[in-house]
Amino acid sequence: MSAAANPILRTRGLTVRFDSIPVVRDVDLSIADGELRVIIGANGAGKSTLLDLLCGRVLPSDGEIWLRDRNITGIGEAAIARSGIGRKFQTPSVFKEMTVLENLQVASNRQVRVFENIFARLSGKPSEKEEAVAARTGLLGVMRHRASELSHGQLQWLELAMVLSQDPQIILLDEPAAGMTADETDKTAELLLDLAGSHTVLVIEHDMAFVRTICRTITVLHQGAILAEGTAQEIEHHPAVIEAYLGSATLSHA
Amino acid sequence: MKYRIVSAAAYIAFFALIFLLPLFLNGFWVNRVAIYLVYSICAVAISMSWGYAGVLNLGQGLFFGIGAYMLAMSLTLALPENNPVPELMLLNMEPDAVRDLCCVTPGSFLWIPFRSLAVGMIAAIVVPIVLAAALGFVMFKRRTAGVYVSIITLAFALIGQLLIINNQPLTGGFNGLANLALLDIAGLEFDPYGPSVYYLVAVTLLVVILIARYLLSGRIGQILKAIREDEARARYLGYDVENYKLFIFCLSAGVAGLAGMLFTVTAEFASPSLMATSFSISMVIWAATGGRASLLGAAIGALIVNFVGSLASESAAFQPVWPIILGGLFIFVVLVMPNGLAGICKGLIERWRKRDAAREEAYP
Repeated sequence: MSAAANPILRTRGLTVRFDSIPVVRDVDLSIADGELRVIIGANGAGKSTLLDLLCGRVLPSDGEIWLRDRNITGIGEAAIARSGIGRKFQTPSVFKEMTVLENLQVASNRQVRVFENIFARLSGKPSEKEEAVAARTGLLGVMRHRASELSHGQLQWLELAMVLSQDPQIILLDEPAAGMTADETDKTAELLLDLAGSHTVLVIEHDMAFVRTICRTITVLHQGAILAEGTAQEIEHHPAVIEAYLGSATLSHA
Repeated sequence: MKYRIVSAAAYIAFFALIFLLPLFLNGFWVNRVAIYLVYSICAVAISMSWGYAGVLNLGQGLFFGIGAYMLAMSLTLALPENNPVPELMLLNMEPDAVRDLCCVTPGSFLWIPFRSLAVGMIAAIVVPIVLAAALGFVMFKRRTAGVYVSIITLAFALIGQLLIINNQPLTGGFNGLANLALLDIAGLEFDPYGPSVYYLVAVTLLVVILIARYLLSGRIGQILKAIREDEARARYLGYDVENYKLFIFCLSAGVAGLAGMLFTVTAEFASPSLMATSFSISMVIWAATGGRASLLGAAIGALIVNFVGSLASESAAFQPVWPIILGGLFIFVVLVMPNGLAGICKGLIERWRKRDAAREEAYP
């Protein structure tokens, strides 16, 4: 386990069982500040469940999750989001009947309590921050469009833009390039590399080609447990990984 | 921009019509339309919770009925013949009971605060809100959502109705409270068949719509819409969805209570039928017909459906089948125009806007 010097997110013995079958087993994860980490693994390896655990969608059967020096295990999705974890789902989940600008306004509003919002007015124009996020994700031209009018790639970027607007300490991305055209995939990879450094990002990915373009450190998940951790090269030549995937060729196309 | 102008014009036209209407109506119709305007307030309350936040309360009649009863209790006691003890209690008391509100029938002491009219009026709004807060807290904290909220609220309205029917010595039972004084505030008497009650209701409707519009066009409205669209996404953005639902549920209940109070003033009775399932569902039909996502649309929907209903009830042929027509209307609205009349208007305006935009592109 490569223990980061200054971990922003740490899990200890994270385990979840569905009907007593362990789906995530004893995972000790440590993500450093500003790191871009990719988690790979076959279908059913527990990748998405791991993200679900981190953002509170699923409660762990065992183990703890720490964000810096705060134990965020079981405090609820909204509280976890407020403490600084932003989650992007595999199928884009945005507010479809609202405009791009409205989506960003809901996301960038960091006063989330009911009583802070009762008399708060809305601006019809994007704030500087909303404009910057939209520019970064290539959405400036469609600010007034309804989300339901966007292409699939734009929806993915909108959700990413919303997560960025939250000012999260760490961003969890579930297959950000899923369903994208080659062109859109390249743009997404660029975007992720651009984010790395200024943000801590944890990505789940399937597509090894995509992983190679963006990746620094890879964590391999196998049957719910961490199998290996290292650079792309190390992972592709790791004997246990090769065995688990029946050869590196399979891994390349996984 | 264009949409805003059309929308403002619609508001002005509607309220101009409402405020001028009594000039052309006799006392009977002034009273009728006043009651329909009360129903409009109910539809606005439904629109607030269902249209904006997706919380479909099928037991709104509970809050409406409580509002009606709270004021009706005060107006019962405002009649000299109902003192020291209302007639309904004399009819139901044990022969040897003390003839005083404290103990004439079991629970009759609950009426004591209602000797004050102010208590009745305040309770008509506060009690529904408090009850909604308690019910909503239990419901939403357990993440009850969607159709389950509708079923639970429906059940609670039925419980309320049964409690009132089964406690005749305290509530007047099935007959309700019908022997009421006129509302009299500081010497100003409100006549249900005259302009005073009509304008009381119309102004209340205007104020309710303006306040609701002010709130819902702000940030809280945007967040509620977001919750309606995708509850989970709102949660992962850090919003405590439950608290927002609770807020709009209580606000809607308070408005329903206010409407109930005005119903007592206008119709001069409060009865358990106000808590009947069919009445709660009627409110939803009014809002759906007019357009649940539009406050003004919901208000207009209530007026239209009730006006047509009253015409139907005067014809011997239509009267028995009116509930069937109403049910058919609901199915029609849900299938063909899910956003109601307001939705159709919005669609038309949108089409004009797009045509204008296309024309500008073609001939810049």
